[in-house]
Amino acid sequence: MRWFFITLLALAGAHLVHAQQPEMEAHLGKGTQLMQQQLFEAAAKEFEQALTLNPSDARAHFQFAVCLLSLGRNDEARQQFEQVRKLGGESRYITYYLGRLDLLSNDYTSAIRRLGSVVEDPPFPDTAFHLGVAYVSSGDISAGIKYLERAAKVLPRDFRVHYRLARAYASAGREQEAAHEFDLYTQYRDEHKSTETEARACTTALHSQSLEAAGEVCHRLFEPNDPEKLTLLGQLFGDAGAFDAALDPLKRAVRLDPKSFEAWHNLGVTYFRLQRYTDAREALEKAVALRPEFYGSVVLLGATLYMLGDDDAALPVLEHAHQLNPADTQTTNVLEKLHAARQKE
Amino acid sequence: MTRRDFLTILVAGTGGAGLLRAQEGGMATRGVRPQPRGKPSGLPFHARFTDVAAQAGLRSPIIYGPVDGMDYILESMGCGVAFLDYDNDGWLDIFLLSGTRRTGPVEGASNRLYKNNRDGTFTDVTAKAGLTRQGWACGVTVGDYNNDGFEDLFITGWPQNILYRNNGDGTFSDVTEKAGLLHPGKRWGTGCTWVDYDRDGHLDLFVANYLVFDFDKIPPLGKDPACNFKGVPVNCGPRGLVGERPMLYRNNGNGTFTDVTAHSGVAAVPPVYGLTAVAADLDGDGWQEIYVACDSTPSLLFHNRGDGTFAEQGLQSGLAVNEDGREQAGMGIAIGDCDNDGRLDVLKTHFAEDTAALYRNMGHLNFEDVTLRSGLGVETRYVSWGNGIADFDNDGLPDLFWVTGSTFPEVERKYPEFPHKSPRILFRNLGNGKFEELLEAGPAVAEAHVSRGVAFGDFDNDGDLDILIMNMNEPPSLLRNDVTGTDHWLKVKLVGTKSNVSAIGAVVTVLNGGRKQIQSVLASSGYLSCNDRRLHFGLGSAASADLEIVWPNGLREELKDVSADQLITVRENAGVVARERFRA
Repeated sequence: MRWFFITLLALAGAHLVHAQQPEMEAHLGKGTQLMQQQLFEAAAKEFEQALTLNPSDARAHFQFAVCLLSLGRNDEARQQFEQVRKLGGESRYITYYLGRLDLLSNDYTSAIRRLGSVVEDPPFPDTAFHLGVAYVSSGDISAGIKYLERAAKVLPRDFRVHYRLARAYASAGREQEAAHEFDLYTQYRDEHKSTETEARACTTALHSQSLEAAGEVCHRLFEPNDPEKLTLLGQLFGDAGAFDAALDPLKRAVRLDPKSFEAWHNLGVTYFRLQRYTDAREALEKAVALRPEFYGSVVLLGATLYMLGDDDAALPVLEHAHQLNPADTQTTNVLEKLHAARQKE
Repeated sequence: MTRRDFLTILVAGTGGAGLLRAQEGGMATRGVRPQPRGKPSGLPFHARFTDVAAQAGLRSPIIYGPVDGMDYILESMGCGVAFLDYDNDGWLDIFLLSGTRRTGPVEGASNRLYKNNRDGTFTDVTAKAGLTRQGWACGVTVGDYNNDGFEDLFITGWPQNILYRNNGDGTFSDVTEKAGLLHPGKRWGTGCTWVDYDRDGHLDLFVANYLVFDFDKIPPLGKDPACNFKGVPVNCGPRGLVGERPMLYRNNGNGTFTDVTAHSGVAAVPPVYGLTAVAADLDGDGWQEIYVACDSTPSLLFHNRGDGTFAEQGLQSGLAVNEDGREQAGMGIAIGDCDNDGRLDVLKTHFAEDTAALYRNMGHLNFEDVTLRSGLGVETRYVSWGNGIADFDNDGLPDLFWVTGSTFPEVERKYPEFPHKSPRILFRNLGNGKFEELLEAGPAVAEAHVSRGVAFGDFDNDGDLDILIMNMNEPPSLLRNDVTGTDHWLKVKLVGTKSNVSAIGAVVTVLNGGRKQIQSVLASSGYLSCNDRRLHFGLGSAASADLEIVWPNGLREELKDVSADQLITVRENAGVVARERFRA
């Protein structure tokens, strides 16, 4: 999902956004938020409404296309991606998605052509993976292996990659390498499952035991060099209201992966809940820089600035939050208050 | 509003950003969204199903746990059914497994044997046959283990399995202990299949086990907060419970069996949640493999090395997990040649929010997951169980069918999109590697039940395939197929002489008009169930076909220009010994 937002930024940068239309922006923001929550059907409706208001907005077409792809509505997704291309010209992001759609429709020749044209400067880390799958599916096992091997270097802990690579080696009669990849696949799949199990146990413990006792259960998730697991651990503590306990893993996570939106956002939420607004501001500014359209981060940053008394900084941030979610009456009230104060001055 | 008020209101509505959603519930569901349905082909489908169970006399409900809840996983898994001809009169009889209730015995609950009256009705002969028994039965495999010409029954269940020897006079005897198949302690046997794995002419026995179960040791519904599905408390398992290894028993040829689980290599797998087990020669080398659908753990494929041992090759073959390497909640297995390329393909059913998986056999024990490209991705709504690859309309293209039903009745109250009772699923084969779901295949298909096992066979001997379905705490369904149109068919019954008498493991290839179809005689299929042992081939417009038979012992026989629309009985190394044309 992180890649998706990076793409949005790239698109927004590449094509100047039309005159701001608050209502359209609101639908766009709501849709993005719903996608973050994996509520794709509801998100699709928002994007459709955004496009009704401005049919030539490339961002809305793009978000709608990705949403349709997530819903498995592949033909419609393809139409939307083509529309983005018409509006904004060629883009390696669009080429990547069209290549993946080709793969899903078993058009391996086109998938190879498209994904192959962007694999040297990949828009997303899994580009080589999909290209490798396309080659294997087309019967060119040796080219498939070449790109799956590259994918395994880029995504070394992704069990899907190792599974496909193992199967490709086996098809090529390279039994020893296949066995090695199957071992890696099993290891990473088991790790993934183990994380799921530990997360479930941690959640149960946090809701049924003392924090001290639950902390012991949750500590099984503590991997000092794994930013995703650290973020998950922090999030689980935060979800249970244990904000003090959440701080350490989240601080470690942002140090290890400064580009992790999830880590920064969760750290910002945690500081905010601990009323450490100066710290919250820094974390949330990082989160908003990574995902400017994510309402949750934007409104929390606005609130943090407001709590810090920095009304000048809070005002544009809250206005942006209001654009993203006009239904939030509390933000509307604060904005009215800030505007009134401005007028008095 | 003060700054403090704003803070209080705001924090209530702003949560963290999720990285990983912990798997909910106990079964592997992938949260897969259905693919959009294409435009209907509009092609006619000449099969029409009518549920005739009540008029056929199948009116007793199949008891399995409480009617309105499933507090324990044992109460939710249900059982299989079988079509068999126990009295060798040429008409399919019906054997229905049954469960019970933990509160105590239920009057009338029993496994049941129904004799075919040859007029569309059945008579319950359970007591007369000596088969009255109440317990938690699960799976059934039918085969003549002592080669006396009469089909015997092996039944799995909790806490014990049972071997019934067919005495040949309409009665059965429980010979479990005498045969050496009584196991110590409690075990939950599930999938089972007769298989002559060493090709000595005697049927051996493979048994899958689900998990370690004890009513006293597993928390009931609502007692463990980890046991929930989408936040709704449900029965616990299988995840979080202890899995089991499968077992293999070698037939000593004298009515007894020897546990060869360790010696054969079957024990060399980690514990799994094993369900349906099917034996078939999947690589065409003359030795039968054993495939086990596993629930929420990678499914197992035991490759028969031909020396009395097996090597587990699930991952290597592509049959353990889906194409992304993710395990699925394997329930039922169907084996058949979906694309008429002369190789046996595999259809496996799974939980809701996931597709069934169709694996295309590419040869050399290499399978490709073709689920999405074949059009099966449109259906992800229901928990899916017993299944079949069978040509229902006799057009020569095997279709797909499976039954559905939830394991968590509580969920429906909060989420109506996860109904407890759900319809049957039918995909017709379009012949180009694609399948099309038929949403209007008649009321018997659309009717909602909580179903588990399913068996396919021609109970009324009219030249098509009917369907027998186990429904939880309801009478079974018997879907009579009435095929219209002019397409032809051929039925083949094999009788082994040097091979096992039931010819289990034999493979028949039918060639007609450039089309090639292959089927294997199976002793287990669907979900814990067993089909009519007579193989049924739809021939389309062809009035005759050539046959090639590979017997379990390796003997090959060819039959040229066999006329359509008849049942032929072929005896090993003796050719066709009987022909029967069914009434119109």
